Amino acid sequence: MTVRPAHQIVPVSQRAAGILRELARIVVGKDEALKLALACLIARGHLLVEDIPGVGKSTLAQALATTLGLKYARVQFTSDLLPADVLGVSIYDERAAAFRFHPGPIFHSVLLADEINRAPPKTQSALLEAMEERQVSIDGQTRKLPEPFFVIATQNPVEQIGAYPLPESQLDRFLMALELGYPDPAAERELLAGGDRRARIADLPSLADAATLADLQREAAALHVAPALLDYVQALLAASRGHAGATPTADTGARRGLSPRAGLMLVSAARAWALVGGRPMVLPEDVQAVFPAVAGHRLAGGARAGALAAQSLLRSVPLP
Amino acid sequence: MSAAAVAARGRRRDTRASPGLTPVQIRWLGALIVCAQLPQAPHLPLWIAAYGLAIVGLRFLLLRRDPLRPDAPPARIPSWTLVLFAVVSALAVRASYGYLLGRDPSVAFLFILVGIKFLETRTVRDGSLLVALASFLVVTPFFKSQSPFAALAAIPAVLVLGAALDALARRPGGPPGRRPVAALTRTAALIAQGLPIAALLFLLFPRIGAPLWGVPGDTTGRTGLSDSMAPGSISELSMSDAVAFRVDFDGGAIPLPAQRYWRGPVLSRFDGRQWTLLARPGEGALAPLDAAAITYTVTLEPHARPWLFALDMPASLPKAVGEDAAASAASGFAFLTRDQQLIARAPVTQMTRYALASVPRSSYPPADAAEAAEYVRRPPGNPRTVEFARALRAEHAGDRELVNATLAWFSREPFVYTLVPPLLDRDPVDGFLFDTRRGFCEHYAGAFVALMRAAGVPARVVTGYQGGEINPRGGYLIVRQSDAHAWAEVLVDGAWRRIDPTATVAPERIEAGLARAVGADEPVPLFARLDAGWLKGAQFAFDALNHAWRRDVVGFNRERQRELWRDWKLDGFAPWQLAAIGGAVLFAWAGLTLAAAGFGRTRPERAQALWDATCRRLARAGLPRMAHEGPIAYASRASRRWPQFAIAFTAIGESYAALRYGPPPARPGERAALYATLARAVDVLPGPGELRAAA
Repeated sequence: MTVRPAHQIVPVSQRAAGILRELARIVVGKDEALKLALACLIARGHLLVEDIPGVGKSTLAQALATTLGLKYARVQFTSDLLPADVLGVSIYDERAAAFRFHPGPIFHSVLLADEINRAPPKTQSALLEAMEERQVSIDGQTRKLPEPFFVIATQNPVEQIGAYPLPESQLDRFLMALELGYPDPAAERELLAGGDRRARIADLPSLADAATLADLQREAAALHVAPALLDYVQALLAASRGHAGATPTADTGARRGLSPRAGLMLVSAARAWALVGGRPMVLPEDVQAVFPAVAGHRLAGGARAGALAAQSLLRSVPLP
Repeated sequence: MSAAAVAARGRRRDTRASPGLTPVQIRWLGALIVCAQLPQAPHLPLWIAAYGLAIVGLRFLLLRRDPLRPDAPPARIPSWTLVLFAVVSALAVRASYGYLLGRDPSVAFLFILVGIKFLETRTVRDGSLLVALASFLVVTPFFKSQSPFAALAAIPAVLVLGAALDALARRPGGPPGRRPVAALTRTAALIAQGLPIAALLFLLFPRIGAPLWGVPGDTTGRTGLSDSMAPGSISELSMSDAVAFRVDFDGGAIPLPAQRYWRGPVLSRFDGRQWTLLARPGEGALAPLDAAAITYTVTLEPHARPWLFALDMPASLPKAVGEDAAASAASGFAFLTRDQQLIARAPVTQMTRYALASVPRSSYPPADAAEAAEYVRRPPGNPRTVEFARALRAEHAGDRELVNATLAWFSREPFVYTLVPPLLDRDPVDGFLFDTRRGFCEHYAGAFVALMRAAGVPARVVTGYQGGEINPRGGYLIVRQSDAHAWAEVLVDGAWRRIDPTATVAPERIEAGLARAVGADEPVPLFARLDAGWLKGAQFAFDALNHAWRRDVVGFNRERQRELWRDWKLDGFAPWQLAAIGGAVLFAWAGLTLAAAGFGRTRPERAQALWDATCRRLARAGLPRMAHEGPIAYASRASRRWPQFAIAFTAIGESYAALRYGPPPARPGERAALYATLARAVDVLPGPGELRAAA
């Protein structure tokens, strides 16, 4: 593991703090969610936001993209959305006498996949495969997706008629699942008084670019993880396996515990969180901060139920 | 401290600079004094013990604050009353003991004085003086007893002594004191670390041949054989379980009970009721050593009399164990009198060990022919005895026949061996022989000798011990006061012969001991009565421990030290070489102790220990760490609870987190710096009590 002296880390945390500050001006009262979203991006994961419409999901995605200086696209998923609508399509160009590829919205660095559970499984699966592979194959040609590539998918947990809930295997591809929730009264007041936030996104300064973000991601991946911390992560994984097997919840049936991949994701998310917090090492607190978001949707159906299950799991596992 | 308090102490300018004691320090001092007093208390008259302890209690009462006026200075006793206390106490001690300048009244006075000093102790300087006084008081019980129990009883005081010194070293506003249990544990750890050093010095530091100062001999009230014998004196002694002496036999072969006559004072003068010692018996000759000689070592309990005890008949002069062989021969630790008594040059006021040889014989030649006349003297009185003796004499011309006829008469007539004989008024010998016929060994021995003298046969009474009990643990013989015995010697056919009339009346006394010889309803001491069972086993085990303790610890003197050095092949070394070896061992031990205390642990381990200790301390202060709570989270929770220590908590949390979860150090010394930060920050935190109060 690379040794990284503290002085190289500090500017990163300052940069992260600056980004968060700007974001907080647009997405009011959601500091924790913003920080998690940023950490998710730095951990090269994808984010699933589970909430009713109108709580600021798209605003968050757009503001994040703008602040980081990334290209942003939004796709409203509907029941007639085809894979090509997301990935892109080759159209015959008569002047060039050749097929020309028209890249779909997936070729943006930040993709907001709104109401992903409304799309048919085939389309969902195309997106999720691209998320995992970070490349798409169209017409026998493999095309790299931009770097960084960050999907924020949303789904509405309330309206389930005519929806295709994501299967567990697909849920597993999201690093984090969040619930934004209603703003608290003070934040809502500020929101009401301040007018439309969407309009102000354009005014946001871009504090980073793809290259800096790649730096951040590299730095996070190199952050020190002590054996003691891995002990703790393993204890959490073991407890989740015992825990989930012991109390299968009614709505989801018997669930398995956290997979090794979930463990890996937990560690990288904790690294990103520590980096955003400006620490040169990962602490149990970092693991605990990201654990509900990382493990919730793997432990139980629904972001809220998952977060609660994750919280109680955290409480049951002492620090080794 | 109030201005009034300072002004009141104006007359003692020297102590004004010394800081005042906190209530915690005063309580520690009080605990120390009570711990020092308690082992001494059983050796003192009840009123002194109660008085001394009550004075300490009074200070504790004065320390209590009025809950309505918590800021009021603690109540105090005016100084003049303390002087009054001291004077009254001195007079009372004088009245109780009859004298003041002696060991026991001095100890009693110190016992009270420490309490009075405690009453007026207000400054740290006074506190230190009090600690010194209390340390001296801790030693005083050893004047009375040097048993393992006495050593055990001193341990609490030593532990509290360490804790009190710890408390005294704290200044108000400085680092907080330890909790009581922690302070005691720490002292215990210090003592444990010091024990090997103490053991080494005990074994290797040259012993001084004679103590630099003697223990002053207030040896009143010791039990043991006296220089006189009257009816009832030995049966009274038999009520005591106390150990008279213990005997280790060389080669381990212990003579049969009937051979175990331990010769003590020989009583030759008779006034009609009481037998007493000859004034100046003169020196006698030892029995010749032969193949049957038994060699043994006696560990004699102090009895404040000069006589030593030996198996009949001593064949060598006793050699004090531990005394230099040459010095022993020159000074003559003891001598043999004409009537075969071993007399030490000085009264036995301390436990004494001596080795000698005896030959198992029951007769020996007289020192000279002229002495016979002395042993037929008898005072007037006891007419019926004289009459009976004349009748016997008329019947039996030869002395030997006379003795045998008398013994036969004793066994024929209905004599009863009992611990509770009826009282005898005038002419006790007459009364015993012809009226009551119930008596203990002194009655039989005394009456027999009186009868012999009336018949013109030279005779005398020998007192001592008979029998004793073998401790299977350790294989030595325990002789108790309940084994006290008296028998007779008659000069027949040119030799002093041992005659034991008790053996004629109650042979089981000689063969099996006192308890078998008297009725079940008689008041025999418990240990003489016990036959078997766990209590007896426990008693044997304890006696073996006590004997070993006395022999190897209390009795570890120059001679035994030399022996040990020879066994360890150390006697070839020069003193400076021994000192160097000892120094090297001490150094190594100190290094080991230090290593165990922290240098052996890695820095993460030490950091973990510090962190765990901090968690425990905060838990005691009411803020336990949740099991899943990380260091930063816990530290920030603690910072919210105690904002005044937020910096320390943050430093603790961050440095511990960095040490435990941090990357390998980029620069050398980085971890050491982190550890130093952690340790410093932990030091800054006050104790749990103070934290609890500050929350």
